[in-house]
Amino acid sequence: MERFSYVRATSIAEAVALLNEPGIRSRPLAGGTDLVLLTRAEPALCNRVVDISLIPDLHRIHREGDRVVIGAAATFSEVIESPIVVQTAPVLIQACRQVGATQIRNMGTLGGNVANAAACADSLPALVCLDAVARVLTPQGEREWPVSELVRGPNRTIIPTGGLLVSLSYPAPLPGSQSVFIKLGRRNAMAISRLTVAALGRLDSAGRIAEARLVPGSATPQICRFNAVEASLLGQAPSRDLYQSAARLTAEEMIRLAGRRWSSEFKEPALIAMTARALAQVFEPERRNA
Amino acid sequence: MKIELTLNGAPVSVDAPADTSLLELLRDHLDMTGVKEGCGIGECGACSVLLDGRLVNSCLTLAAQAGGRKVITIEGIRGAEGGPNDLQQAFIDYGAVQCGYCIPGMVLAGEALLARNLEPTRAEIREAIAGNLCRCTGYQQIVDAIQATAIKRQENSNG
Repeated sequence: MERFSYVRATSIAEAVALLNEPGIRSRPLAGGTDLVLLTRAEPALCNRVVDISLIPDLHRIHREGDRVVIGAAATFSEVIESPIVVQTAPVLIQACRQVGATQIRNMGTLGGNVANAAACADSLPALVCLDAVARVLTPQGEREWPVSELVRGPNRTIIPTGGLLVSLSYPAPLPGSQSVFIKLGRRNAMAISRLTVAALGRLDSAGRIAEARLVPGSATPQICRFNAVEASLLGQAPSRDLYQSAARLTAEEMIRLAGRRWSSEFKEPALIAMTARALAQVFEPERRNA
Repeated sequence: MKIELTLNGAPVSVDAPADTSLLELLRDHLDMTGVKEGCGIGECGACSVLLDGRLVNSCLTLAAQAGGRKVITIEGIRGAEGGPNDLQQAFIDYGAVQCGYCIPGMVLAGEALLARNLEPTRAEIREAIAGNLCRCTGYQQIVDAIQATAIKRQENSNG
């Protein structure tokens, strides 16, 4: 007996129609790296998969005014190879490069990473750091949510049943912005993230911090920008001491948002070191290769 | 369901359940037993194949997803006259093959890299095979074999 049937959608409109066909519990299939495993663990998950991975529009990466729009079925490899993303969002490139290994990056998609919303999803901190917005199509129409509101917790999003995540977009950061992504895993390849830090920043003409965004990943139940930390950096002159105090505040915020857990003992010092390093790389990029 | 694809250059048509993985389709329905099942959950790379030229884990790919597309398995990698191609011969020459279980995936990972980058650094080679586990730990020789083949292919394409 087949656990589910398979149908391939050739357009976004067809995919939405198939996902909402009455009497059938359908699931969108993009890269399959999470869903194929999930259907084995939970045979009753769905009775049909709708393959959206070959819809050309869902792979498109383009500019729309000052925004960059990435089709939800763009694979991590396609994102990494996109000159537009390379130019505008090093933080997202670095995050996608950290995902799995070649095979997983060739299969897994940015939209799948967001919709599956694993606690350790590498693209999520980068997307939240970029103030990315998710566009979701339903038979009733179109909805947009910031990624930080769409993802409510581990494996939990507010994408309605039958809704299809079609794209992720972010405003291109202002000229002079720098961004980085740092990951802590047990080894380089195929490692589940234990902790990540996405950071973006910009200095004004006087060399003071004009913009600062900081998003730890695998650190809090709902992934978010750490506003208190960001505020502590604004208007300041970059220095080691500043990074250290911001990093300590980051760890305090993590404990405040996530509570004290078995992993806090290693996550606190690790997050402090990673945050200080990320801020140094953002605000003193000339030291990055030193 | 009926699945039609191009396997190692030849069209094939096969009837299989919709929830069959590409790995199962290749091994159990099409006798491509060079495709190995290691972990079955996308961690080890032993089941790697090329799908439209991209390296993927066939255990995490549904057979139906390969419909209408081109799949290359290790059986499709061979010299012009049959026998090993240059990369496979380099694996032999450099002693890169021990138990051999990971080697089909390793060779395909090497081919996928060399198709895009004929001048890979050692770091790039290591990154390209990072999704392929070898538990005999013959990684050095595998990297040597891919690097030697890259250099030979560069020479051939220049001269």
